[in-house]
Amino acid sequence: MNNQNQILGVFDDPDVVTDAVKVLLKNDIKIKDVFSPFPLEHVWDLLKLKTRIPYATFIYGAVGTGSVFAFLYWTSVISYPLTFGGKPHNSLSFVVIMFVLTILSGVIFTLATLLIREKMWPGKKVELPDSRSMDDKFVIVIEKSKEMDDATVKKIDELLMKSGAVEVNGSNV
Amino acid sequence: MYNIKVRGVLIEGNKRYHDITRDVTNPILADKTPLWWWITAFFASVMLVWGIWGFYNTITVGVGTWGLNNSVSWGWAIINFVWWIGIGHAGTAFSIFLLVLHQKWRTSINRAAEAMTIFAVMAAGMFPLIHMGRIWNGFFVFPYPNTRGPLWDNFNSPLFWDVMAISTYLTASFLFWYVGMMPDFATIRERTTSKIKKKIYNILSFGWVGSARGWLRFESAALLMGGLTAPLVVSVHSIVATDFAAGVVPGWHSTIFPPFFVVGAIFSGFAMVLTMMIIVRKVYKYEEYVTQRHLDAIARVLTFVSLIMGVAYISEIFIAWYSDSPYEMFVFFKNRTVGEYAYSYWAMITFNAIIPQLFWFKKIRSNITIVFIISIFINIGMWYERFVIVVTSLSKTWLPSTWHGYSPTATEIAIYVGTIGFFLLGILAFLRFLPIMAISELKGINKETSMITEKPEDHE
Repeated sequence: MNNQNQILGVFDDPDVVTDAVKVLLKNDIKIKDVFSPFPLEHVWDLLKLKTRIPYATFIYGAVGTGSVFAFLYWTSVISYPLTFGGKPHNSLSFVVIMFVLTILSGVIFTLATLLIREKMWPGKKVELPDSRSMDDKFVIVIEKSKEMDDATVKKIDELLMKSGAVEVNGSNV
Repeated sequence: MYNIKVRGVLIEGNKRYHDITRDVTNPILADKTPLWWWITAFFASVMLVWGIWGFYNTITVGVGTWGLNNSVSWGWAIINFVWWIGIGHAGTAFSIFLLVLHQKWRTSINRAAEAMTIFAVMAAGMFPLIHMGRIWNGFFVFPYPNTRGPLWDNFNSPLFWDVMAISTYLTASFLFWYVGMMPDFATIRERTTSKIKKKIYNILSFGWVGSARGWLRFESAALLMGGLTAPLVVSVHSIVATDFAAGVVPGWHSTIFPPFFVVGAIFSGFAMVLTMMIIVRKVYKYEEYVTQRHLDAIARVLTFVSLIMGVAYISEIFIAWYSDSPYEMFVFFKNRTVGEYAYSYWAMITFNAIIPQLFWFKKIRSNITIVFIISIFINIGMWYERFVIVVTSLSKTWLPSTWHGYSPTATEIAIYVGTIGFFLLGILAFLRFLPIMAISELKGINKETSMITEKPEDHE
């Protein structure tokens, strides 16, 4: 176990793992990641994780609205204006298509952002530190740095066990 | 995040996380496909083959194979189109409205409702395509630089809005559905022992690992995609309604149409979800996940929506009288409530506005057989609603000399039956190969709503 470069604390309860993260942070231990079968919102707060995806989505929507309007204006007013019934070429009812396509561009590009930021693609090779984190276990991953001596590693192991881990393992992934 | 009080236990049987994984993935990972699946698939294929004959007939001969005429220029095609689109609204209404409202009881049902949406919207999309007659010119509906001027589409036409709205709705619902399934695909990937299945589900999962940062981004993106798609539920059917309301046909030219159609869509969609979930929970023995309380909640929603439908019907009649327009009066007092199509009008009223009111009684709501029968009635009633709107209005418009009856031909019936076959095959494929319930979402609500823990005060 000593020659492996990650310490894994395996838990089987979402609240226990959240408390364990709290304890570890209080002891100034750097947590690399927490793997879980479902989202743990409190852990994000504790690890101070933030995402800027909402801002990105806003930009996609705004760009979508603008470019759709530009396209409608170009086709209906500049490229081929059709006059019928004295109706204006630059019509208010463009709003409908702008609305729909704003949503479309927001949805598609938000998904693309998620996939790019998470570096996900079909068929990507994955190696999980503990594959049970897809089923019913919650895994805290702590990286063993070079400065860590055996005593610190032991202390981390003990802390994990004390805060309710069902297992403490090592992993190279 | 604010907490909504949960309505009792959502997953019965004190499931642990592993039990949820097992219960949802076992039917997918089973090597043998059950017999009922093959039998249903056989009948669905027969229906689809007949539908393909209908398509072939229409494309090679023309729309003349349908029962349409100069007066009734929209028949079963548009009726079935609107019917399917209506059914297709449930999934998104279900998963997204209830997601935004933090209603936790959605978790056992949303995945199946979304799958239903996808296949129903695809089935709906076939009707406008085939209604073109010359389907090979279908690309004319898209705006692209062409040699005709370039003559662009009429961007002020509700029919063009329809093309945009429905293709957007299909794309957005599909992506939302798919994103929700990625973590579950990863769960299946880690659980299966078959090498081929591992590979396939790994491709489908996009290499999902479930790290803290991954979940944060995932939740954020999924909520945004859901929030963006939610207004589409309203806009798609409003636009479909303007297809009618923009036409100067007695009985159509009314501002009530968009809200009326949206409510009707949610009504038929929820009814179809009820029909499907009652069958699925029985066949897959998912009574612990889709509990009596889930069905009860849907039935309550239906009661309320049925009331809105009833009010809409009454206000249509009232406005016809109040407008003092002889044509509107004719539509409602001579053509719909009495006359040759009166049976369809009264079928609509009975099935949509009256029978669902039985759900006020708890005894009825808790009798699953009756709930199932009523849900089927609603599906039929909503079909009749579209029939009433399309056929009664078009068959007797302004000039009595143009009055013409309408009855569908075998080709039209074949296309309709074919789309039902297509829908059934799609649902069957979904049931066999994809996670029917959102595994990660079920796990997410399990502890706070359903698991029996040592500390009873954890429960509300």
